[in-house]
Amino acid sequence: MGIRSYARARAIHAMLVYTGGCNGCDIEIVNAVFSPKYDAEQYKIFLTWNPREADVLIVTGPVTKQNEKPLKEIYKAIPEPKLVIAAGACALMGGVYKNIHGDIPSEEIAGPVEKIIPVDAKVPGCAVRPEDVLSGVVSILPKLLEAK
Amino acid sequence: MGTVHSAAIEPYRARLFVEDEIVKDAEITVGVNHRGVERIMEGLPVEKANSLTEKICGICSGVHLWNSVLVAEKGLEIEIPERASYIRIIVAELERIHSHLLYLAHGNEVLGHETFSMRLFYIRETVMELLRMIGGNRVQYGVPIIGGVRPRAELDEMKTQKIREGIDYIREKVKEFADRFTSDPMIMSRITGICPLSRKDALRLAVTGPTLRATGVEFDLRREMECYDPFEFDIITQDDGDVKSNLLVRVFEIFESVKIIRQALDNLPEGAVVDRSWEMQDTDITKSYVEAPRGTLYHSYALEDGRVRNVVIRTPSMANIGAMQHALIGHHITDAQLGIVQCDPCFTCTDRAIEIVKI
Repeated sequence: MGIRSYARARAIHAMLVYTGGCNGCDIEIVNAVFSPKYDAEQYKIFLTWNPREADVLIVTGPVTKQNEKPLKEIYKAIPEPKLVIAAGACALMGGVYKNIHGDIPSEEIAGPVEKIIPVDAKVPGCAVRPEDVLSGVVSILPKLLEAK
Repeated sequence: MGTVHSAAIEPYRARLFVEDEIVKDAEITVGVNHRGVERIMEGLPVEKANSLTEKICGICSGVHLWNSVLVAEKGLEIEIPERASYIRIIVAELERIHSHLLYLAHGNEVLGHETFSMRLFYIRETVMELLRMIGGNRVQYGVPIIGGVRPRAELDEMKTQKIREGIDYIREKVKEFADRFTSDPMIMSRITGICPLSRKDALRLAVTGPTLRATGVEFDLRREMECYDPFEFDIITQDDGDVKSNLLVRVFEIFESVKIIRQALDNLPEGAVVDRSWEMQDTDITKSYVEAPRGTLYHSYALEDGRVRNVVIRTPSMANIGAMQHALIGHHITDAQLGIVQCDPCFTCTDRAIEIVKI
């Protein structure tokens, strides 16, 4: 382990981006990090709102058309190495909003997230459970730490 | 200040016109997370459309479904069993508690008091676990269906006992929190008299819900809803309309919700929880209003061959945007975030159909 990954392992910052879901996943993720019951801070994972200091990007929501460009820009602003987690059914496949089963596909949705930025881990669920978010983040940490 | 910025907790655009650090005018624009739920609902079978309304908001999902089911029941003239009505009210009040706790936690985070915020998140976990026990999911529990509630949500002896223990715990902990909160001079001096909204302005801007009650207007739609008739509860009001009044209204409303749940559990009627003997027919456009955690929620649609037509949804945050803009004017820019948060914004709900057509 180099000095860089040694330092990084002690302060992993996750940034939450909300792209037009229903708020359920977002609260559950904030819950997973903040609330004393799940408490991701014990694994040295912190929540941030600044892309410049983030290592992990957590994306929720089906990505509405207006949100497509901001999402790309946020992804660009994060320094290398970076990882992306798509959390929730909407982020994985557009969820109910994409109207997959309906006759007319929705015109408002540009997503899923995979189409717009590369995704490293997927956390399923509607809404995601905090336990799943934790295991999702923890499972990709080796990838982040091995990166040069 | 800022444009559409997805790094905010919810995407919205707040323009503040500032002169000497005093906000002269404010403008809040929504529309970034417009998903067109009404359009997807159009033409779907009514049961499917109802389950879609749950996905409008992740905080007050249950009350959206409840109201949407009420529209169909009003149109088809279905009488639901009394037990089902009681279970619906228990779920709705649990949801109000968790929404208000989230509001208080978020407010404290903005105030910079993270300890309170974490404590409140911890208390909130109890409610989430109760909702998961009743409905099977933490966020989208989907309890009401047309004609009653899902048989999965039937309350047996063990579940009622757990809910009793849960609400006792919440009552005790929230009371402790309220004592600590109101006796903290630092916090009180930070929130007293910040961004007040007068009663006259609140009525002019058609503000609803706890934000309206914080200005002293005694209006709660629960008083007018038939299903709340058997319960005894007070309407909480405060006088000033500032951040302190807004926070305290929500704290006291948690106690009232606990009271309603306890009454519902004590007098839970026996019998079936769902009545499936109704028949589908065409209806005119039916309207329904309920009191959501944030205020008056409106749903309406018509039924045609069992399919949904002309869906209109109006959420309480839409009305409260006016209050957010108005409360900021004339105050310091550092109070602006508090002024927006005090109205309990939920911009996910708010992004409804934007086109307004005058006929």
